[in-house]
Amino acid sequence: MIWEILRMAIDSLAVNKMRSFLSMLGIIIGVGAVIAIVSVGSGAQSQVTSEISQLGSNVIMINPGIRRGSGGRISLQATDVFTMELADRILQNCPSVTRIMPNLQTSGLLIAGENNYQTTVVGVTPVYQQIYDHYPARGQFITDEYLTNVSNVIVLGSGLAEELFPGSDPLGQKVKLYVRNRHLVFVVVGVMEKKGTGMWGNLENQAFIPVSVLLKKINNRQFVNGYIAQAAEAGAAKAAVAEIEYFLTSYMGDASKFRITSQEQLLETISQVTGTLSIMLGGIAGISLLVGGIGIMNIMLVSVTERTREIGIRKALGAKNRHILTQFLIEALAMSGFGGLLGIGLGWLGAAGVAKLGGWPLVVTNTSVLVAFSFALFVGLFFGIYPARKAAKLDPVIALGYE
Amino acid sequence: MLIEVVHLQKIYQMGPVRVEALKDVSFQIAAGEFVAIIGPSGSGKTTLMHILGCLDQPTAGHYFLDGQDVSTVSENQLAEIRNKKIGFVFQQFNLLPKETILRNVCVPLVYAGFRGRRRQLELATKALNQVGLGERLHHKPNEISGGQKQRVAIARALINNPALILADEPTGNLDTKTGQEIMGIFHKLNQEGHTIIMVTHDQEIAAQAKRVIQIRDGLVQRDEVIA
Repeated sequence: MIWEILRMAIDSLAVNKMRSFLSMLGIIIGVGAVIAIVSVGSGAQSQVTSEISQLGSNVIMINPGIRRGSGGRISLQATDVFTMELADRILQNCPSVTRIMPNLQTSGLLIAGENNYQTTVVGVTPVYQQIYDHYPARGQFITDEYLTNVSNVIVLGSGLAEELFPGSDPLGQKVKLYVRNRHLVFVVVGVMEKKGTGMWGNLENQAFIPVSVLLKKINNRQFVNGYIAQAAEAGAAKAAVAEIEYFLTSYMGDASKFRITSQEQLLETISQVTGTLSIMLGGIAGISLLVGGIGIMNIMLVSVTERTREIGIRKALGAKNRHILTQFLIEALAMSGFGGLLGIGLGWLGAAGVAKLGGWPLVVTNTSVLVAFSFALFVGLFFGIYPARKAAKLDPVIALGYE
Repeated sequence: MLIEVVHLQKIYQMGPVRVEALKDVSFQIAAGEFVAIIGPSGSGKTTLMHILGCLDQPTAGHYFLDGQDVSTVSENQLAEIRNKKIGFVFQQFNLLPKETILRNVCVPLVYAGFRGRRRQLELATKALNQVGLGERLHHKPNEISGGQKQRVAIARALINNPALILADEPTGNLDTKTGQEIMGIFHKLNQEGHTIIMVTHDQEIAAQAKRVIQIRDGLVQRDEVIA
């Protein structure tokens, strides 16, 4: 009997195709929006995550602590705490830390003949290559020798090399760096491989010089902004954070002078934020589902009124209340279910479109499809009950006499 | 006795107005009878038909159908009795407009929980043949004539092999000639042993029954066997 009732429900929806479609529209858009939003959320999340991982793995950032301002004074970063020597001591005292490099950069104008380019000049040590997983394509990187000799050598990002030396070989050429009203002349010793735009800015257009040159010849200071440390493996990152924290606290006698952020924490925070955003936007899209349910209820009420006589006939022929109830409930369910299926298609298309624009992989999770679809069915059921009960409770005598 | 109504009373309360549609009606009908219930409009004959058809229940009194007192049963049981023991034929035909002729005839089978699509269609075809309809079975009701519609309705009434066929002005929407054809079917069914109760205000049609019960002001005014 259930098949018979199902067939009747679908037939009656097919009779009023346009009307059924319009009533389903709310559900279609709702389900589509939920799926698309969740998909775009997880796509963006995986994009950001992979960008962070691109930095190299198990990276730990050590930054100065923020001193609270009091009264009219603004809060300041502690900038006079990190020296190059301290980096070595961290490496010696923290067994889980395998590499550490200073975090120090400046902004300057690079001039090569007719061409110039305003960019970020990063002060590095040789371990930069392993930590960032970024190596020279030609020539060499900053070596320990350059570092100790405080040599004026420079390694150019691949994009930067193109900007400064279009069509010619930059290796061995001279580049002028104009920074803090001074000119310094550097010799190009290497050009980096292409790595693409990452979370940390465009690596392609950066230049790399020995950190000793940046400290001694440009900044005239012995302090760097912070450190970037790397643990041996992902599992060791937590231990490394604890070791650094312990060592620095005992060394400085004050835990508020520094902040330690591991890549793991960063990933966690980002996935939390994007997760919350997805849920929030998905919830807003869910409201559309609710509105769609009201649309279904509305059209079902119209349908019950229109078909009062049919209900009377069916009852005279022996339909029990539950038969009529089932018939109208199935009709509401068929509408929300079919609308849900169309919505899945729409959401998938929308997500695919945005993924293509955003350049990240299309992620449509089974969970989001399942949750959106079952919510649509639930909405259909919930808003179908009232009209269906109204239909089932009609008095056959009155329903038969209805014109 | 197939039908026994005892001191049947039906009162409608419409706001402050109390309408006594049936005051005190008693009669018996045996299996195999062909009874016409007549009376002017407002006499209570429609109310009586609703009660006899188990579409409604009396305020007081008893209605025994096939030995069962149906005046007090539940709504669900009433639906089951309508399905299995009563076949309705209406003046307005009351076919489902969106279903084919065959499926219309099958509807009571569906609610009886009769399984097997093919067997349902076989039974429906047989019932339709019984009333002289052999073609256009896959058409919709609006594609056939009034006389054909009423034949479909009769086939539908017969399909669950009911104890009672209840016809409400079955010729009211038909021309005289077609009306006579439909009456011919009722005569034939009655000869085959079916019990028929026909509600009408048409004296000529009523005269074709074997017994006439006349209702007036909610009471049985006349109850006589013709011929």
